[in-house]
Amino acid sequence: MARLELDGLTKVFEGDSGPIVAVEELDLDINDGEFVVVVGPSGCGKSTTLRTVAGLESATDGEMRIGGEVINNKAPRDRDIAMVFQSYALYPHKTVAENMGYGLHLSTDHTDEEIEKRVEEAATMMGIEDLLDKKPGSLSGGQQQRVATGRAIVREPSVFLFDEPLSNLDAKLRKHMRTELARLHTELNITTMYVTHDQEEAMTMADRIVVLNDGRLQQAGTPKQVYYEPVNLFVADFIGSPSMNIFDVTLRRDSDGGAELVNESFTYAISERVTNNFDAADGDEFILGIRPESLHPADETTPVKKTVRGRVDVVEVVGSDNFIYLDIDGKECRVRTRSAVEPEIDTTFDFTFEEEDIHLFDADTEEALAHGTKSPEPADQGVEEAAVGD
Amino acid sequence: MLNETRRSKTLLWIGIAILALWALFPYLWVIRTSVLTNFAAVDPGTPYIPPLDVLSIDSFLNIWNRADFPLFFRNSIIVALSAMVISVAFSIPGAYAFARLDFPGRQVLFYTAVFTIMFPWIVLTIPVYDIFFRLGLVNTLVGVIIAIAIFTLPQNIWLLQGFFRQGIPPNIEEAALLDGNTEITAFLRIVLPLSAPAIGAAALFSFLTGWNNFLWVFVLTSDEEVRTATVAIHYILGSDVLREWNILMAAVVLLVAPPVIFYGLAERYVGEGLGGGAGR
Repeated sequence: MARLELDGLTKVFEGDSGPIVAVEELDLDINDGEFVVVVGPSGCGKSTTLRTVAGLESATDGEMRIGGEVINNKAPRDRDIAMVFQSYALYPHKTVAENMGYGLHLSTDHTDEEIEKRVEEAATMMGIEDLLDKKPGSLSGGQQQRVATGRAIVREPSVFLFDEPLSNLDAKLRKHMRTELARLHTELNITTMYVTHDQEEAMTMADRIVVLNDGRLQQAGTPKQVYYEPVNLFVADFIGSPSMNIFDVTLRRDSDGGAELVNESFTYAISERVTNNFDAADGDEFILGIRPESLHPADETTPVKKTVRGRVDVVEVVGSDNFIYLDIDGKECRVRTRSAVEPEIDTTFDFTFEEEDIHLFDADTEEALAHGTKSPEPADQGVEEAAVGD
Repeated sequence: MLNETRRSKTLLWIGIAILALWALFPYLWVIRTSVLTNFAAVDPGTPYIPPLDVLSIDSFLNIWNRADFPLFFRNSIIVALSAMVISVAFSIPGAYAFARLDFPGRQVLFYTAVFTIMFPWIVLTIPVYDIFFRLGLVNTLVGVIIAIAIFTLPQNIWLLQGFFRQGIPPNIEEAALLDGNTEITAFLRIVLPLSAPAIGAAALFSFLTGWNNFLWVFVLTSDEEVRTATVAIHYILGSDVLREWNILMAAVVLLVAPPVIFYGLAERYVGEGLGGGAGR
């Protein structure tokens, strides 16, 4: 077990059409025993970060430390890490037991009996003790995933690295394995860096989520922080399913201190409690974000300036909830409601939301300005200032 | 409808049978002649399917007393096996480098190698002879082995690099690195065992090329002691002495037998492929 620190980690690939910056100046501090999920869209640099930590790619710049020790120039085998690949990467010519014990045979001086015992323990933990004599080719995807994870845990490394380990599984199995991996982490408490493009996986498993885009750190925080207090529009849009509704709005001040957010399709009144959080002049442009579950049907008591009208495009029944897709002057708006609310297609649908639930972003920088009536916390960049000599 | 399907199927099989017979006829004729008596072999009156009284295996027994066939076959075996081992041993690292490593000039080198596969060997005979003459390798088995090994190298590199590129997922090698291997040991312990089917196929092709090679043996040797069976048969065919066709054809059967047997054995192994071999 150990703390994993990335300090200004940069990775540049030499492409045919010039250098490609995959990871840029990434600062990240993963505490001992912490489960950090790195999430982001394809090509955001998350897998490159993981592979650089593993030593499968060399860092262009910056420093990586495990347990305080710089690992930049260490060979992968000397970094005391174990990695689970998306493709599982099991050795097809070895049995499950040989696959799991291989690393121990090579990197430790344990006797065959000790190794066998540890393999059996790990296999029991993963529920694959019946498969030990089989070859990977005869196993299902889920079983191969378990073997791959078993191969990692049997090593008892300082750091676990997971590279989209559940992406090749079907939805049901993926959810099941998600729970199992979370349980495993609770049992073993080994520092873990887990990469996925699936924000739901990130939300459910992580102690802390790290959101990357274009090789840059966007936000590092607890699942609740990145969900309720996204630092910018990218994080707000990326985290959450269905994703946040986004509207371009202009601020209109009125004489009595209040204000309105005006869009070509609606006008929404906000109080000083929102506008006090940031400098806002009449006519300033903002981006309004509102989560689908924060929208609810309006009724007669709802003021006009709190009501937005849309035309029902699609109603998705998912059982517990309904997802209503509205067309607001050509713009899609997603509403998540109770299953009892099931409007007819092509009818109008009036909805409203509380000003506590809105997110306002700067129209130029796309940085968050207000989360409801609160101003954004200073972004936690995941770097805890380490004391000198630590 | 059913009848029509059956009829077209029957026609298909008849067509295939005719084509197969057409292709196999020369081989069948060689086998037929090899088991005739000396006289029946040259008698135009011998029917296509010869009667039992003219059949004999004497040719196969007598061959070992004629010319230096044991020596020629021994030379063929030495040349084919040695060239195979050398060619495969050099093509494995070469192919791996082309498949996995990124080094300056990789593409140019690779396409040069592939181009030589398409290059007709015969136009190179004079410069190759000249080089081998200067190196003192003319009229030696070593010279023939080196020539054949060099000329089978590109096809082996091409075959193996395709396998390394597509047959071995890079993640498996990376997992091996994390499990405690260096690049070299990961290659030797993980990649090489997984590549056995492809290496078997490359070895098979090399062996066949070496065994059947005529050109380099013909060009680089003149002494009988270093002659291989293919060239020896050519000399007997081209000589003016009374030809014993049955013995000659027996020699051809014996010449064809080892590659056929070798292929039969290796094909099963090669056909196992990565998935099949690994899945059990």
